[in-house]
Amino acid sequence: MIEIKNLTYIYDTQQSPALENINLSIQPGEYVAIIGPNGGGKTTLIRQLNALLTPTQGEVWIDGLSTGNVKNHKEIRRLVGMIFQNPDNQIVGMTVEEDVAFGPGNLGLSPAEIQRRVDSALAAVGLSELGKRAPHALSGGQKQRLALAGLLAMDPKIIVLDEPTAALDTSGQTEVFRQIEKLHQQGLTIIFITQDMEEAARADRVLVLHQGRLVADDHPAQVLTRVEWLLSLGLAPPRLVQLMCRLRESGFDIGTDVFDVERACQQISTLVTGQRQMLTDRKPREV
Amino acid sequence: MPFQYYPLDSPVHRLDPRVKIIAVLLVSILLLKASLPSLAAATVGFVFISWASRTPLTAVLKSLKPVLPFFICLFILYLFFTPGSPLPYLSFGPVQVTQEGLTMAITQVGKFLLLVAAASLFTMTTSPIEITTGLERLLRPLKVFGLSSHDLAMMISLAFRFIPQFVIELNSIRQAQQARGADLNESGIAGKIRLMAGLASTLASNMFRRSDQLIDAMEARGYHPGPRTYLNNLCFRRSDYGVLAALTVIAVAVWL
Repeated sequence: MIEIKNLTYIYDTQQSPALENINLSIQPGEYVAIIGPNGGGKTTLIRQLNALLTPTQGEVWIDGLSTGNVKNHKEIRRLVGMIFQNPDNQIVGMTVEEDVAFGPGNLGLSPAEIQRRVDSALAAVGLSELGKRAPHALSGGQKQRLALAGLLAMDPKIIVLDEPTAALDTSGQTEVFRQIEKLHQQGLTIIFITQDMEEAARADRVLVLHQGRLVADDHPAQVLTRVEWLLSLGLAPPRLVQLMCRLRESGFDIGTDVFDVERACQQISTLVTGQRQMLTDRKPREV
Repeated sequence: MPFQYYPLDSPVHRLDPRVKIIAVLLVSILLLKASLPSLAAATVGFVFISWASRTPLTAVLKSLKPVLPFFICLFILYLFFTPGSPLPYLSFGPVQVTQEGLTMAITQVGKFLLLVAAASLFTMTTSPIEITTGLERLLRPLKVFGLSSHDLAMMISLAFRFIPQFVIELNSIRQAQQARGADLNESGIAGKIRLMAGLASTLASNMFRRSDQLIDAMEARGYHPGPRTYLNNLCFRRSDYGVLAALTVIAVAVWL
């Protein structure tokens, strides 16, 4: 459970705050996407969640532990695992196994317990076969899964991801999201930053950060369908939503909260069959 | 590549890295005062260990290649500039090869070559992880001086981990410079230095940025300086005790 109260964060007193008066609470098991233009404060916000940054004003509580207290940092970082954008710069070990063992080693666990956790974490992300490999020889998607295994070995409750797919190709992106969704189904809280509105639409809740303020916090169907508003913030609404909105503006009776091709196809074909039906109904009378 | 780890299964590979580190250090010290016969014995011993490790002997020899010019110079210096009784047929006016010079040249250069070969056999039969774990254990007594062996081991292991990254980065910078029309085959020493300076500064700034991000990632995973635990636990076996005993016997024998 995450509780953020009146959080303000200032990097530099000369500049405007990176985060301004954020109030937010995230329940266990939620699946949250954070979107917003660059410089909006997304990365600054998630770095507050594992105490890489601590509030200038206000409070951040993780499972009843305040990030303001340095004594809590060790436990907070165990509870909140973080994945960064560039997979290469978060690998510490010389082999896959050893990299996963880094977190448990920091917790001071026994070698036998570390081995057990490494094995189960690698199995969970499907990398058991590659335990002895050198990490730099893995593909981008495999590297991000390795990073996830490194977190799972610490038995976290919350996983925070900073644009985890930005550096990956399409198959790597699917690979990573399949893994993330599996973890969400197992009850972990997932919070991720993304530039990709289709990815954001997968979440149960979307937060929009703009100029350090939380300007929207709702279900994707409510947030991602506000086409004009998203464009005014410099964000690109999902293409399917844009298409549906255009059709709606042209007078078709169609829902706009459509995020996958499957549903779009369904809606449009119902519409088309309806029209065709009307035409065929009309024809005989014209004759 | 010389000095590169050969992942094989051999009695030498299976030895505890601590034993291997101690052996290399001890042999290096003992060699320094070795005479020609004991050097010959050591070489025979080395060839035997190298055979037992199942690593190709040619790979060990290749590791000597980069240091060879230096040792050839050393050999020549010893050969011509050691005073003693001149050898017949090998003296030309003022330039004289002496009996002592020849012995000295062979022993001294032989010692150093054997040292390099021993170091290379060590890294060929011991993985970087084993080396760091072994060093971490051996350096634990440094705690008395306020040095943390855990931190040292972390540094060494990160250095190892960054070597492939370093090579990848260097290649991509080189390609980026080539793409913008840089001539990478500049001739002359001045040109080469200019080229290296360009690569090195970009590489250094990239590496600093990377390490900044790595620090964040390490902190996010709960890193803190000082004691920590490891996946690989070291444990002496019977063969390790055997090798340690043999080393002690050799050391005592040489000292007496």
